[in-house]
Amino acid sequence: MTHVETNTSSPVHAKSSARGERLLEVRDLSVSFNDGNDWFEVLNKVSFDVKPGETVGVVGESGCGKSLTALSILGLLPRRGCRRTGQILFDGGDLVAFGEGDMRKVRGRKIGMIFQEPMSALDPVFTVGYQITETVRAHFKVSSREAHERAVAALAAVGIPSPSNCAAMYPMSLSGGMRQRVMIAMALVCEPQLLIADEPTTALDVTIQAQIMDLLEELSQRTGTALLFITHNLGLVAESCSRMLTMYAGQVVENGPVDEILSRPLHPYTAGLLGSLPQAKHRKSKLPSIPGRVPSPRDMPAGCRFAPRCTYVEAGCRMSQQLVGHGARHARCWRSDTLVLPGAAV
Amino acid sequence: MSDILTVENLGIGFPARQRHQVIKAVDGVDFRVAQGETFGVIGESGSGKSTLGRCIVCLVRPSSGRILHDGADPFALGAGELRQHRRTFQIIFQDPNAALDPRMTILDSVREPLDVARIGTAQERRRRALTMLDRVALSLELANRYPHEISGGQKQRANIARALVLEPRLIVCDEVVAALDVSIQADMLNLFAELQREFSLTYVFISHDLRVVAHVSDRVAVMYFGKLVELGPAQAIMAAPQHPYTQALLSAEPEPIPAHLRTKERVILKGEIPSALEPPSGCRFHTRCPLAVAECSARVPEWRELSPGHFAACHFAGKSAAVPATASPV
Repeated sequence: MTHVETNTSSPVHAKSSARGERLLEVRDLSVSFNDGNDWFEVLNKVSFDVKPGETVGVVGESGCGKSLTALSILGLLPRRGCRRTGQILFDGGDLVAFGEGDMRKVRGRKIGMIFQEPMSALDPVFTVGYQITETVRAHFKVSSREAHERAVAALAAVGIPSPSNCAAMYPMSLSGGMRQRVMIAMALVCEPQLLIADEPTTALDVTIQAQIMDLLEELSQRTGTALLFITHNLGLVAESCSRMLTMYAGQVVENGPVDEILSRPLHPYTAGLLGSLPQAKHRKSKLPSIPGRVPSPRDMPAGCRFAPRCTYVEAGCRMSQQLVGHGARHARCWRSDTLVLPGAAV
Repeated sequence: MSDILTVENLGIGFPARQRHQVIKAVDGVDFRVAQGETFGVIGESGSGKSTLGRCIVCLVRPSSGRILHDGADPFALGAGELRQHRRTFQIIFQDPNAALDPRMTILDSVREPLDVARIGTAQERRRRALTMLDRVALSLELANRYPHEISGGQKQRANIARALVLEPRLIVCDEVVAALDVSIQADMLNLFAELQREFSLTYVFISHDLRVVAHVSDRVAVMYFGKLVELGPAQAIMAAPQHPYTQALLSAEPEPIPAHLRTKERVILKGEIPSALEPPSGCRFHTRCPLAVAECSARVPEWRELSPGHFAACHFAGKSAAVPATASPV
């Protein structure tokens, strides 16, 4: 463990408790791994919430803890050499305290999951229909015929042409876009309240990506499923999410409504991510990039973790940073009140 | 400016599993690339853009048509001459991990092309490799490391150094930034631009990312299912795409801007790229085209010049309001 924050109270939830019900509340979630000698912290006091039916985006570079946050919520971290503290409040229980048996009733039933690479998430030796049916029968006491009917209905719901033929096919005979549809069908067949999608379209072409995003939006509207959407593509967040979190080096560094963040980010890291996107209107110009790279969890900078890469760094940045509230928004930067950062270029 | 690369009616076929069938990965492609230009190629997976790139550097033989380097056919050269010639036409691939030998240090990997080409003494080769590594901002300390000890962005820099060390004139960049995070991607695109000015390089920049292609390219070609569907100046393609496929591609690209600033309308294409064994009749895009009419499946559209230097292959491109700039979805 290299970094200890002094103030344990998280300002994120101090004010927001009055606003409507919440489906998922993550409170001060920290995760540490042991490499045999030492514990090092990979998630540091991550707090956020998701309201029923809402779509929340999580952005950040690789190695910032986005996927780890998703795996922690689902209890899919290794049991040995891993420590999880804080709370994950979902459906009246704290998932951190749940045993494996209880988690199994949540996973796939109440919280669905879609991974980036559909081919590695599907079993190549069973038909698509069998795999969806298996999910249904794991959670509901239904006959195999009924389960199969539900599987076919789920395939139809995700826009697969001739779903009963598809159910008899093996994953290898489907295209990437079709496999991702199958994954979505499998994740939604039990009608979960929350769907966690980790880079669901990264392996797909843009035209297929547009189809899948459209489908996710439509399904979440129709069934009221909330969506936690993990991606490195800020464009997708802009087009499909209402709120977003920026993660950096295992911490949430900014959160708030998407449109406000894009217009005027409060954290230099969010601004840096937005600025480094190539824009057709500024052809051939030099792109502003974020120098350096994400620090390793074994070697976290003291104080603000982004300071070594930040263009706006000052002496005060050596202090440990807290999430500072600005109405519905928060940023982990002590200068967020005064800094005027460039937003999305139009 | 003279043309460093000419692609004439190029066709590349691969035998299918059933031996009598041929998969045409590239089918009748024509274009020229001028010295010092950046020529962008956009297309989805399966459109044949990588096969085209490999053919440009003589890694795949054309089955019909031809490619010319400075007006001469490289495939007419003998094996020894071709090896010599290859030095000036290099390619950089998408996956920086797969392109470096895990058992060689970065310095050795960058020096290897010089060793193969037997240029200078061992001392000189080492010095040249180090100079090139320095140019792509890799320190001496990193030069002595193995690929698994450095980051993805650094590996891609090493690959660039490796391609540049033989002083090529043209480099095919095949999805070179696709595997990198946005901030690293920006660094890399800046580096490509600097190197182009410094070494007067010509790039053929292949990517599925419109944003990236439009940023770096002078001219852009849009490929669908083995054929070019549109070709023109990057600005014209981005501002006023003429082919419905280009329009759909542009509209599918999500924009990181707040909702109230968003103007474009989305065209969501139905279906996927058809099977390579049974190309659709007529216009190959008609199975997914929101504007398709009976004529489209019957007749192959001509490759027409709509305005100087701007070509498209669509029956309706540039004709009245049939293809408005922002086509509305069906």
